[in-house]
Amino acid sequence: RSFEYSQKNAVLVPAAALGLGGMLLYWLRSGRKIKTIDMGDGWWGSGERPIQRKEDESIRPFKIETSDKEIEDLHRRLDHFRFTPHVEGAAFHYGFNSSYLRKVVAYWRNQFDWRKQVEMLNKYPHFHTTIEGIDIHFIHVKPSYVPHGRAVQPLLLVHGWPGSFYEFYKIIPLLTEPARHGLNEGDVVFEVICPSIPGYGFSEAPHQKGFDSIATARIFHKLMNRLGFKEYYVQGGDWGSRITTNMAQMLPQSVKGLHLNLVFVGKQSLGRIICIMLGAYVPWLVGLSREDVRRSYPFMQKNFYDVMRESGYLHIQATKPDTAGCGLNDSPVGLAAYILEKFSTWTDKSFLNKDDGGLESKYSLDELLTNVMIYWVTSSIVSSMRYYKENISKDPDLSAHSRYAVYVPTGIAAFPQEILHVPRVWAKDVYKNIITFSYMPRGGHFAAFEEPKLLAQDIMQFVRKVEQL
Amino acid sequence: CSSLAGIMLLEAVLVLGTLLIYFLFSKKKEETLPFKDGWWGEGQKPVTQEDTSVRPFKVETTEEELSDLFRRLDQARFTEPLENSCFHYGTNSVHLRKVVSYWKNQFNWKKQVEILNKYPQFKTKIQGIDIHFVHVKPPRLPEGQAAKPLLMVHGWPGSFYEFYKIIPLLTDPASHGLGDEHIFEVICPSIPGYGFSEAPHKKGFNSVSAASVFYELMLRLGFNEFYTQGGDWGWLICTNLAQIAPNHVKGLHLNMASVSKLGLTHLLSILLGRYFPGLFGFQDEDVRRMFPFLKKGLYRILAESGYAHIQATKPDTVGCGLNDSPVGLAAYILEKFSSWTDMEFQNLEDGGLERKFSLDDLLTNVMIYWVSGCIVSSMRFYKENLQKGIGTQKHEKLSVQVPTGIASFPNEILHTPQAWAKKKYTNIVSFHFMPRGGHFAAFEEPELLAKDILQFVGKVEKEQLWKKK
Repeated sequence: RSFEYSQKNAVLVPAAALGLGGMLLYWLRSGRKIKTIDMGDGWWGSGERPIQRKEDESIRPFKIETSDKEIEDLHRRLDHFRFTPHVEGAAFHYGFNSSYLRKVVAYWRNQFDWRKQVEMLNKYPHFHTTIEGIDIHFIHVKPSYVPHGRAVQPLLLVHGWPGSFYEFYKIIPLLTEPARHGLNEGDVVFEVICPSIPGYGFSEAPHQKGFDSIATARIFHKLMNRLGFKEYYVQGGDWGSRITTNMAQMLPQSVKGLHLNLVFVGKQSLGRIICIMLGAYVPWLVGLSREDVRRSYPFMQKNFYDVMRESGYLHIQATKPDTAGCGLNDSPVGLAAYILEKFSTWTDKSFLNKDDGGLESKYSLDELLTNVMIYWVTSSIVSSMRYYKENISKDPDLSAHSRYAVYVPTGIAAFPQEILHVPRVWAKDVYKNIITFSYMPRGGHFAAFEEPKLLAQDIMQFVRKVEQL
Repeated sequence: CSSLAGIMLLEAVLVLGTLLIYFLFSKKKEETLPFKDGWWGEGQKPVTQEDTSVRPFKVETTEEELSDLFRRLDQARFTEPLENSCFHYGTNSVHLRKVVSYWKNQFNWKKQVEILNKYPQFKTKIQGIDIHFVHVKPPRLPEGQAAKPLLMVHGWPGSFYEFYKIIPLLTDPASHGLGDEHIFEVICPSIPGYGFSEAPHKKGFNSVSAASVFYELMLRLGFNEFYTQGGDWGWLICTNLAQIAPNHVKGLHLNMASVSKLGLTHLLSILLGRYFPGLFGFQDEDVRRMFPFLKKGLYRILAESGYAHIQATKPDTVGCGLNDSPVGLAAYILEKFSSWTDMEFQNLEDGGLERKFSLDDLLTNVMIYWVSGCIVSSMRFYKENLQKGIGTQKHEKLSVQVPTGIASFPNEILHTPQAWAKKKYTNIVSFHFMPRGGHFAAFEEPELLAKDILQFVGKVEKEQLWKKK
């Protein structure tokens, strides 16, 4: 009897061990296998995609130009603007205050110098190149001086709405020549590439439906590849955050590091809801820091009511972009009111209570109007709004890509006046490899525009850590 | 053991019984909505008595107004639509160009102004602002018959002009093949902030304010008892009027009847109503119009309510450009005349605009918004009514006891079954499924609507239902 028993064991035990071992190996391997977003392909030019002709891959220098005709047309429209008085005591609670708007228009008409701004815009080298049938605009700034033996890191900066490549003009010199600007973050120096998202600014707008952040991510990868970069850093906020995240999810081997100043939350799950409810009382139990609590609570107020109050633009742009943008492409003052309202409220929520929206406390009118002019002279407001429909109507809570974890080293700069605060513990749901998470002392949504030094410092300390890995 | 069960059963019955009695009694509680006094003029309310005169008014135009309009139409900047997008992204700019061309070359505003002036119009100051209204008396009355006063209230983006085709059917039914048992004198005011009614200068002018102002108007015109009719905002204002002054409103006729208080029963009826219609009081036509609920209910609301979201939060921003660009204004307004007349029109390249309306009619309505410069104030009405959320205002919790007639049009944005409507409108005298027509009932199907109003009034008058409340 005992002989049979041991014989059985001799077979069963190794069999079981093999079986278990096999299962363990399989589980380990499938855990290690990183799911990436399929790169796919696209064609965004008008009409049918040409079969034979190979795409023109040349990189053509570009200079922004203006004309008397363009300026006179603008002035004429500013002169004929039809103004509506606001209700008494409105401040910015009904939207852009029309009394303050009159002052902005007077400055725009009489003091703003577009020719001078165009010269300023042209101080960095601009280029165009055709990818997937459309012309992609970008600026490419190399450091003028590289200390001996230092490596220059390529860095792709991606803007959002209603911003543009221009948002990065103040931060670029801090990244390409840190020493000259009193930033001594060790040995990190960048060459910066800032493209315009197709449909924004000087990038051609897609002619076909379906142009979303995945297509953008793919095009920007192709752009970096065409410029000769195999590995690079990427940084973004607003749509830029989503695009750069997609880039990290698509080709992790090309993205050395991902830096974000805005994080999109994924789907609300039961666990998340419990975390929210408990977080008010025992934040440490659910991984929330004191600063997280300070920024996120009262929860319903900050994450629901405030968001509902501020997301009307998102709702209409995600459903009827061609309607919403039509009048704005025809009335420069309407365009300015629409865009500048965001530069007020998204910089500091308390600016809603001010008659002038607090706009000039953080920005100059020249800067604000230059950004508006980029939308005006390129007639890109409608195509910029279509981006919302293309991304959101397929995926209303912007959570589809949360399925793809991001293993690329990630740095997050959390600015206090950002529209929505995402605690690190929630960001970890998607970003598995957070190297730095900083609570910035001040600043809002337009981080690069408003607090370039703070953002530059955070990017540099993040990159330094990644380089040391 | 059985006596314990007996006690428990008794307890359960007692509890249920109390709940039932509570429900019954709470339903019988007839609260009225208080009249909302206010002062909406500029600055401080003067101590002197308000001027209560009723002054005749005529719409006028000038060469300057026309040449300014044409100049703006000539300078319009359009954005090419995406290929094959029809009206899915909003108003298609290729079709918009055709509309603008008609507007410039064939539309005759002077002629349309004459048409507008064919009905007597007046202005009178109420609560500090000038209220514009049309007042049409019957051309002839049979011996011994008195004209019944009927207040008809428009909505957004409509105007008093929407009633121009139905007015003759109501003031002179005999000449239009409808019986002359009931003849009306019709009063169509413009909601303050719309068309030729002055816009309120103070915050807080909501539907109850409008109802109070219109109530004062009817009293000033010498009407002690009257009928009211409305759709869109007119639905809410007339409902509020019936709640404020139930003893003065003989009957309330609606072509839209929304319910904002959604409870467990509603949720259950959405989930199960398709399978057990009888259980929830649904008729076959209700099921046909409401289900599949996700497509016809939830998704439709989300896809079509972007405008309401942004107008309820940032009216001064979104309206700004529209008051400066007539093309933008037309795109914004006409989009509604497309999708709210028939959802399927979104699949047409021309949005089906001219299938139910003439371009002259559509543009006359747009011109009322343009020449009065009222688009921003018209949008503020959304904020004043909705900013605290739907279902939160006092009047939304009150029921309506006044005899009510509902004409339910098939292409209305959202269908409200009688089973839901009767929870709020406790005295529904007639509820009819109309064979065709959408949101702009009076504009699109004047004869159908007039017939329904006449049969409703017939029922109310025959049984003197207003006395039985």
